[in-house]
Amino acid sequence: MKYLTTFLFITLLAIGCAGESDTEQQSAEFSGEGVEVEGAWARPASEGRMSAAYFLISNFNDSDDQLIGVESDVAQLVEIHESYEREEGMMGMREVPEVDLPSQSTVRFQQGGLHIMLIQVTRTLADGDTFELTLHFDNSESQTIEVPVRL
Amino acid sequence: MKIKNLFYIAILISTLFMLQACSSPALDDYSDVQFELTDQNGELVTFPDDFEGSPVVMGFIYTHCPDICSFITSNVKKVYEEIDNPSDTKFLLVTFDPERDTPEVLKNYAQAFDMDREPFHFLTGDSETIDRFMERVSVRVQESYSREVESGDRMYFLNHTDKILLINKNSELIFDYGGSMTPVNIITEDLQKLL
Repeated sequence: MKYLTTFLFITLLAIGCAGESDTEQQSAEFSGEGVEVEGAWARPASEGRMSAAYFLISNFNDSDDQLIGVESDVAQLVEIHESYEREEGMMGMREVPEVDLPSQSTVRFQQGGLHIMLIQVTRTLADGDTFELTLHFDNSESQTIEVPVRL
Repeated sequence: MKIKNLFYIAILISTLFMLQACSSPALDDYSDVQFELTDQNGELVTFPDDFEGSPVVMGFIYTHCPDICSFITSNVKKVYEEIDNPSDTKFLLVTFDPERDTPEVLKNYAQAFDMDREPFHFLTGDSETIDRFMERVSVRVQESYSREVESGDRMYFLNHTDKILLINKNSELIFDYGGSMTPVNIITEDLQKLL
């Protein structure tokens, strides 16, 4: 029986590792104020093409919040998107109307997951450039952040 | 049969699978095919003939995809940067969106990633050739949704297989990875075995 238990434990561990979430509930050491955005960066792109921006959003408030919109003059369309695995090895992308920011948690916008889609950038974004991106929240004030472009 | 025996049989089968993986038998052989493609400089390229004699790292992308495909492109570049002796290896990125990804578009894309240089080759072709190529390498593509942009143009996005392949000097497919998900060091270690 102990062999079966070991086998089941390893299997469950493997399944658990595969299901990494974009949202992390934080520990008691998690400290800050309001909603904070950090670690922003974006992919290079030539004018008229696509780019994607990534960052971490931490909600230090005692109440939940939502990211409800994004805007920038660096692209014709700026949207919240998510890449996801539709089926074995097949990747898709979909628009996300809003992103939940639970109280005392961090949401990761990262490659292969949530990202800000910059459709048809209005100027070439080269390694080392920066641009402004404004984030709108449901219960907090909007924030304009500087996003560096890097490879 | 006792559970203990079943456990030993499961271990034996797993070990056999692992041994098979270690010996790296060819998953496919491309030496009998020929695809006429065009690189980012407008030069005609024949796959696999023009690359025979070199290991090949090959990813599949479309340039209107900013997330997964840029991840794949970046991973191919990282393999080049991390390998000890990359001079003999060729690095290919083949588009499955030839309608929009012309050689000029691929050249701009390559420049954005600082990859418009040897040993990187960004390849496109006519739609019929690309369709046959993608079928041969088991890359599936389907339109997901579209948007109308300010100019009135329709912009479409694609669902697609996420893949990087490792091909040996004899044009045999040896390894097949999730293109955006596989740690670069795993691809690099496997590539070292082919040099």
